[in-house]
Amino acid sequence: MLYDLNVPWDPSQSPLHLQRTISFLSELGYDTLALNHTLATLTPQIMNPIPLVPPFTIPKKTVLLRRCTLIIADPTQNHRLPALAAAYDIVALRPTTEKAFLAACLSLDSHSLISLDLTQRFPFHFKPKPFMTAINRGIRFEICYSQSMDVSGDGGNARRNFIGNVVAIVRATRGRGLVVSSGAISVLGCRAPADVLNLLGVWGLQRERGVESLGVNPRGVVINEGLRRTSFRGVVDVIEGGEKIVKENGKGGGEKEKRMQGTPQNGVGKKQKGKRIAEETNGGATPQLSKRAAKKANGDLTTTTHRRYPQQATSYTRRMKEKIW
Amino acid sequence: MVRLKNRYLLVNILYPELGGHYLQGRKAIPDVVEFNQPTTDALTAGALMKGLKAEIANVFGDYGSGAVSESITVKYLSPATSTFILRVSRAHYRIAWATLSLMTQIPVKDGRNCVFRVVRVSGTIRKAEEEAIRRARELILKTRQQLGEKRDSILDDIFGSTEAETTKEEDVLTVDRSDSEEEKDDSDGDG
Repeated sequence: MLYDLNVPWDPSQSPLHLQRTISFLSELGYDTLALNHTLATLTPQIMNPIPLVPPFTIPKKTVLLRRCTLIIADPTQNHRLPALAAAYDIVALRPTTEKAFLAACLSLDSHSLISLDLTQRFPFHFKPKPFMTAINRGIRFEICYSQSMDVSGDGGNARRNFIGNVVAIVRATRGRGLVVSSGAISVLGCRAPADVLNLLGVWGLQRERGVESLGVNPRGVVINEGLRRTSFRGVVDVIEGGEKIVKENGKGGGEKEKRMQGTPQNGVGKKQKGKRIAEETNGGATPQLSKRAAKKANGDLTTTTHRRYPQQATSYTRRMKEKIW
Repeated sequence: MVRLKNRYLLVNILYPELGGHYLQGRKAIPDVVEFNQPTTDALTAGALMKGLKAEIANVFGDYGSGAVSESITVKYLSPATSTFILRVSRAHYRIAWATLSLMTQIPVKDGRNCVFRVVRVSGTIRKAEEEAIRRARELILKTRQQLGEKRDSILDDIFGSTEAETTKEEDVLTVDRSDSEEEKDDSDGDG
């Protein structure tokens, strides 16, 4: 599973181009895409303008999510992030000043990505401390590789700045906790995963870390954000919900109640908006499955539940233990 | 004498942009076909080499051009399938690859916008060739799949239609069984 968590979306953008981008990314092997809406200022009423179902057909295996990126310069302002988080599937922040960057790393909550605009030169150094604090809090740093194909921006310095910033981020994080996405404004900015890994390799990111930043890390972001929205305090989520009581007309007119296990699809469909179904159905096994398939599904289940544990869960369980003992 | 080690990059040229003049006015073409259009004949091995070297000089400067200039050659170029094989020395193939990733245009006059996708890096040219053939086959199958959901089966087209459905099922089952046995063996070994 490969993720591209930044496919720019704009209300004025023609759906044909968006469809082409989605189709091309799917052809290249990415299957979970997040449409990204960038906000510079907040309107008083927070609404999500990205349609749940796009007005065109998308490739079969592709899952679309809705993300918003908020540009913040002054962290003291009230950005109503919880309201944003409720409206979108993923919330990212784009700090433009050092103050905002530190706030996004250390104090602000309810976002899971920090997406710096790497084509500009930052007037401050990237120090490991805020980076690692943020990563330990479960926040990931985004690198949009298509920015490196833009040569003209910032007086011809865009690519230089981008590479310099990427090297600095890789140095500060030692390659941990990165999310690599396209951020491709036009479809020409999209590259195949192998090409992206090679580019990052040339810029000093180890191959394994690169693979992680295309698969495991963005997956963690998607799952955590989903869990944060649907679960109880980010700790417990019901996957196998929806036990249904079915009334059957037995012999002699007596009514027998039979408990029937709802299919996992039902349970998930009720709990969630139906988009993350593809993510979650891995976890459940229907009784009709063959032994082999069931085994496979079980294997999946353990891995999913394992990975699905968010940061909060561990700290919460730790707290509970301390309370008890 | 130690022999020179090379890497062979098998590269596909993809055309993701909307509405190429090649396909103007023709509807209902699968996206796969549109991405894999033929390249203009103006792209010769020499032109490609020249463009690539210029881009390497642009991105990696004198150091990059010097490092690869000894070894870089276009070994095979097929505009019809938009495929080429590039030979670079093993120590510096990443330079050539990164440059290809950063290129967005066919290096000819008024070249179309495109994406260079490296699909295989191998140590021998034979493996690269085999991969090219395999991919071409796969592409045909994929296109048929997207085009011909109306047809019953693609396999029928290739191998001729077969009536004996039951034997097919049996085959599938046996394949399945042996697979699961293997799996069991594996798990036993693990335990």
